[in-house]
Amino acid sequence: MEKAVLVDMTRCIGCRGCQVACKEWNERKAVQTTFKGDFTNPLKLSSDCYTNIRFVETEKNGRPVWSFVKDQCLHCRYPACSAACPVGALTKTDKGPVVYSYDKCIGCRYCMIACPFDIPKYEWDTTRPWVQKCSFCSERIKDGMLPACVKTCPTTTLYFDDYDKVVVEAESRLKKYPQKYVQHIWGHHEAGGTNWLYLSDVDFEQLGFKSGVPDVSLPDYTWPLLSSIPAKVAGIVTLLSAIAWFRGRGSQENDKS
Amino acid sequence: MKKDNKNTKINSPWIMMALVLVVALVFAAIYRFYWGLGAATNLSDDIPWGLWIGVDVLAGVALAAGGFAIAGAVYIFNLPKYKPIARAAVLTAFAGYVVVSISLFFDIGKPLSLWHPLIMWQPHSIMFEVTWCVVLYTIVLALEFAGPYLESIGAKKTATIMTGRPVLVPLAIAAVTLSFLHQSSLGALFLLIPSKLHHLWWTTMLPYNFFISAIAAGLAMVSFESIIAAKVFHHRLDPEILQGLAKGTAITLLVYFILRMGDILVKGNISLMFDGGAGTLFLFEMIFFVLIPMLMLFKNTRSTNGMGVMMPQVLVLLGVVFNRLNILFLIQYKQGVSYYPSIVEMAITLGLIASIIVVYKIAIIKLPITTLWKTYTSPDN
Amino acid sequence: MTNHWIDIQNADVILIMGSNAAENHPISFRYVTQAQEKGATLISVDPRFTRTSSKADIFAPLRSGTDIPFIGGMIHYILENNLFHDEYIRLYTNAPFVVNASFEMPGDLDGVFSGYDPENRKYNKKAWAFKKDEQGLVVKDTTMQDPNCVLQLLAKHYSRYDMDTVANITGTPKDLLESIYKTYTATGKADKVATIMYAMGWTQHTVGTQNIRAMAIVQLLLGNIGLAGGGVNALRGESNVQGSTDHCLLFHILPGYLKTPRASQANLDAYNHKYTPTTGEPNSANWWGNYPKYSTSLLKAHYGKNATQDNDFAYSYLPKLDDGQNESWLMIFHKMLQEKLSGFFAWGQNPACSGANANKTRNALTKLDWMVNVNLFDNETASFWKGPGMTPEEIKTEVFFLPCCASFEKEGSITNSGRWAQWRYKAIDPLGESKPDADIINDLFFEVKKLYENEKGSYPEPITRLAWEYGKKDNQGKTNHIDTHLIAKEINGYFLKDTVVKGKQFKKGSLVPSFAYLTDDGATSSGNWLYCNSYTEKGNMMARRSKEDTSGIGLYPNWSWCWPVNRRILYNRASVDAYGKPFDPKRAVIRWNGKRWVGDVPDGGWPPLKNSDGSPNPNTRKAFIMKPSGVAHIFGPGRADGPFPEHYEPLESPLKQNPFNKKHRINPAVKLFHLDPKSTMDLVAVSDGQFPYVCSTYRVTEHWQTGVMTRHIPWQLEMMPKIFIEISRELAELKNIINGEKVNVISARGGLWAIAVVTNRFKPFAIMGNEVHQVGLPWCFGWQYPEDGSSGDSANILTPTIGDANTMIPETKAFMVNVEKI
Repeated sequence: MEKAVLVDMTRCIGCRGCQVACKEWNERKAVQTTFKGDFTNPLKLSSDCYTNIRFVETEKNGRPVWSFVKDQCLHCRYPACSAACPVGALTKTDKGPVVYSYDKCIGCRYCMIACPFDIPKYEWDTTRPWVQKCSFCSERIKDGMLPACVKTCPTTTLYFDDYDKVVVEAESRLKKYPQKYVQHIWGHHEAGGTNWLYLSDVDFEQLGFKSGVPDVSLPDYTWPLLSSIPAKVAGIVTLLSAIAWFRGRGSQENDKS
Repeated sequence: MKKDNKNTKINSPWIMMALVLVVALVFAAIYRFYWGLGAATNLSDDIPWGLWIGVDVLAGVALAAGGFAIAGAVYIFNLPKYKPIARAAVLTAFAGYVVVSISLFFDIGKPLSLWHPLIMWQPHSIMFEVTWCVVLYTIVLALEFAGPYLESIGAKKTATIMTGRPVLVPLAIAAVTLSFLHQSSLGALFLLIPSKLHHLWWTTMLPYNFFISAIAAGLAMVSFESIIAAKVFHHRLDPEILQGLAKGTAITLLVYFILRMGDILVKGNISLMFDGGAGTLFLFEMIFFVLIPMLMLFKNTRSTNGMGVMMPQVLVLLGVVFNRLNILFLIQYKQGVSYYPSIVEMAITLGLIASIIVVYKIAIIKLPITTLWKTYTSPDN
Repeated sequence: MTNHWIDIQNADVILIMGSNAAENHPISFRYVTQAQEKGATLISVDPRFTRTSSKADIFAPLRSGTDIPFIGGMIHYILENNLFHDEYIRLYTNAPFVVNASFEMPGDLDGVFSGYDPENRKYNKKAWAFKKDEQGLVVKDTTMQDPNCVLQLLAKHYSRYDMDTVANITGTPKDLLESIYKTYTATGKADKVATIMYAMGWTQHTVGTQNIRAMAIVQLLLGNIGLAGGGVNALRGESNVQGSTDHCLLFHILPGYLKTPRASQANLDAYNHKYTPTTGEPNSANWWGNYPKYSTSLLKAHYGKNATQDNDFAYSYLPKLDDGQNESWLMIFHKMLQEKLSGFFAWGQNPACSGANANKTRNALTKLDWMVNVNLFDNETASFWKGPGMTPEEIKTEVFFLPCCASFEKEGSITNSGRWAQWRYKAIDPLGESKPDADIINDLFFEVKKLYENEKGSYPEPITRLAWEYGKKDNQGKTNHIDTHLIAKEINGYFLKDTVVKGKQFKKGSLVPSFAYLTDDGATSSGNWLYCNSYTEKGNMMARRSKEDTSGIGLYPNWSWCWPVNRRILYNRASVDAYGKPFDPKRAVIRWNGKRWVGDVPDGGWPPLKNSDGSPNPNTRKAFIMKPSGVAHIFGPGRADGPFPEHYEPLESPLKQNPFNKKHRINPAVKLFHLDPKSTMDLVAVSDGQFPYVCSTYRVTEHWQTGVMTRHIPWQLEMMPKIFIEISRELAELKNIINGEKVNVISARGGLWAIAVVTNRFKPFAIMGNEVHQVGLPWCFGWQYPEDGSSGDSANILTPTIGDANTMIPETKAFMVNVEKI
């Protein structure tokens, strides 16, 4: 059974313990940052930052609202990156994490293009560059441990369990507090569903969640094309051979070309 | 009367410039491999695909489509009119595909792993399929090119086999099949991202759009290079060929126009054209690089002056480059982020283009590529 | 805290005010989250919308320094609407006590209570005395209708704090005031409970103590003290500051909150007599009546065999303060600047950044002959002489830096806000030459002792005769390595001879089971009577880790140990009625089962006030055992600045006058440094056009205190790289400041640059008809690291030299500044 995480943003206090725990566990280095009036730091995910908290200020009924959004790989159920990668360097494991293999990777960066959430990042400043992203602490999960961020979170914002149980929990919270939550589990259907699900009290689009991601498995857009190749090849070769034969009758053999 | 070019000088001011670019390419290559992508390019996490993918690979593959288009025309549809330009078209395509592979070698993060897709398979990946088709098609091109090469080194018997219909027809069938697969797959690369590619470009028809526009690009490229080559080597090209190519390009553009506009109409996306930004880009692309050249080419189909097709064909070439770059731009657009190629990136792209020119000229001079080019009488011959 | 962290989850209403709990106590915020999951309402009141406010059900802004009007308004609301818990205040508070008839209040005396001496800025507290009857007992009015009874005086005093007045002074919209008052005061019902979580936002004011008093009054009126989910809960700002206050590192107290002796207390008897309260109140436990047992046991702990009946238990070795002498933080640096101190230990601190008026502090350090800084990293204090504006060649201070190790490199206990002393273990060895503080003190002690023994000096005995039994002594008599367990045991205390106490036999050398068995005859020692029970013959109670909890309210009685005697909720005998039945049965803390109390450790094992037949039980004791009167103080006759909290403006405020009176804008009992003729660096700006904006200072989750540790952790600095000032969008527009640009922030005392954070989380206040802007900065940065100064400097450069009237804690939460584009 795949594991999943429910991120209940109504509980997050933006302490960023998860951000640091992830850095610590994955031995990511800190970079020199500037500060331009935005507490989000580093501003974007990178090869050194698998997860960060985005601080979003909005307003409701004249009263400030401050939301803290945890960004990281969503570990899609049908990952576009995995279907995109020509060598299968990104794979969805049966426990849920989408993991990366440097040994297979050729560095074409198509996964970065294919990901609807712009998650995979690259190590540009080395001659042995990895694609870097949250690994859902796959090695920790394998040993029955919690992901580093989940373990660190003090306010139970991150709920880690089997996928089915996580969905049930999300649905029950929506039902229990209809006034508090936006009535939508983000990640339930987006991109065909992700293993990291979100609940919020603020409109998801206002919080910077990518809009326009269809509720279908993205690899479904390309698999029909690929699976029909044998048929297509057979068809085209037959057709062209027929045309060539038909048009070639009466043509001189050994025509100097 | 057969004309050979053995006495045409290789060197010329243009070639000198090209060689300078080739030298720059070498330096740029050393820089890229020693210091890595981050130092050598302006690529970033926000813009992972830049000049090399946009121009060298995406546009380059489309522009090299002349190889299969002409091969198909001559050997499958048996249109002998185009035989004189068949070898040049194959030469262009072969050089083009080699350059595409070299560009990929520069672009990917782990160049020495470029061979991985041959052994490590991911059948769900469009890029996997593209890689295989490109490899197989490059082999096909090499085999198509083998004939002229063998002729030039005097291997008469083998040359005869490699230039005979029993070899060239199956090769042409393979060329068209493989090209259909990968030209359309280059478009299919972007099927996965309906949320990132603006819906004036994104459609499930994307593979077909790419394939059709590739044909137009290939025909336009063949026109263009033939005209230039004729000038350089003091040939007159048969205006029938140029007019035929012009007609072919025009019809292809028409089909392309119908496919794209039809899809937009059916999906109800017409209003997007007037949405500013991407809408304007779309109108620009369609008007200047599809409609105008299409109309010019239809008009010029009757004229006898081959030069009249030069400009519209160049517009078509530029249009395909524009279209591929637009797609790359749109899918990677982020607020506050800009990208322009670095010196190293430009040196490599320009250097590779220059290399094609140099290799092309040498090949035309040294190899029997243009042996069927006719001269024809005209007042100023 | 009167309660403890886990108990927060039991509350129906949580008020977080004067605190940003989510920001600064993120781990403990879990319990707030859990309370909310159970349906609790979270109220956040703060000048600024903080990370805590983001989780609150109700948020209300208020101008820094106006907490007393806010809470006073709530007291007014409670009394006006009869929302107080009548039985509770009757049984457990001094609400029925009658005050002497000549007592007058600020409403009558234009801003002060009776007994005020304006020249010395002091009160004669006799003017607040209770009315006594012929037996000398306080007169009580059980009807609580006598106009001079505490409850009526309270009502009269706070009748001036109506909602319109409060809204005008605090800038809080009236509808929010009403909503909060209504929600919070609904817990006056017996089975509803609210808790208050507060921190420096309340204490760091000239009226800090009175802020807390105001809330204590509210909690007493509503009957929330002693109950689960209630209490008055201070969120300590450092993991072990509760430990440091318990062991009384401040000048005026000795371990266990005993008093530092004064010069006029010539001997131990005089000293004990002065501080041991007596009472005539019937059934008052008057627990401080045991004072001599604790003071004597303390002396025995320090001096062991050298403290005997004959030498007054070495009382003469204790350093004495002059009568009235105050050596609190602000005084130290004030005197240091005037060259009255030759040496200084800055131990585990960074005063150059943490103390108010940082420029004054830094300058003061230049006047020393020598200074020792004990810290993990170099910092602005240790390197003060290299700081901005310093000329090292002209500074004669000899500076020593002693590297100490971090908490996980040594073993010992840490006492949290909930009074839980949790034993911690050493995870790794200290790096390099760094040492645990205990070892550093140990080495210092033996060096000083040796010097005294060799060179005599003026009074060697207080040092040379210390017992110092903290580890094996070598053949020179020196302890080379401290055993923390021996310290812990000494703190708990030993029986120094075979003895019998309360009918029980104890052997010499055994550990005292609890402070009930300490004696004043020299038979026992205890380094801190409050901690007596923490390390007994049963073992190290602080190291217990049992997750078993049958209380149902999260007491976890066998997880570590808390003082006193593992009583998790203080004053819990006020959680029951006179018969010992819980007011809130669903969250009962203790319950009388006919024979004894069941539940938490009762706040004294005596039986309930009444027998089951309704007759008073003669063996009972009143619930508030530490008060001589046995009841909690709604009327507080012991504070320096008045028995009831009254609003006074901060020293620096936007108002020229106190809205409540014409004569006393600020707290009439605070020491004013800027009036000292020798003062040079204590400039003050009041309602000064040059400094028009109210400013506060605060912390961020990502950095710790002055940032000495966290600025050295790259991951932390990456998240919060440099000093910022949060300003409202309205103010930004006024000053043409855009988000992210560098600005200058200046006060009368100094200035620094900061990055402007333009946000909707600050909004201007409407105060007395004028628009008042408020801004704020964190104080976790300093010029010393990063070495290029790119993080900026400490916000304390701006803060004023003024402290609370009772504690002298600096008023760093409300002062005036200006903000300018660079």
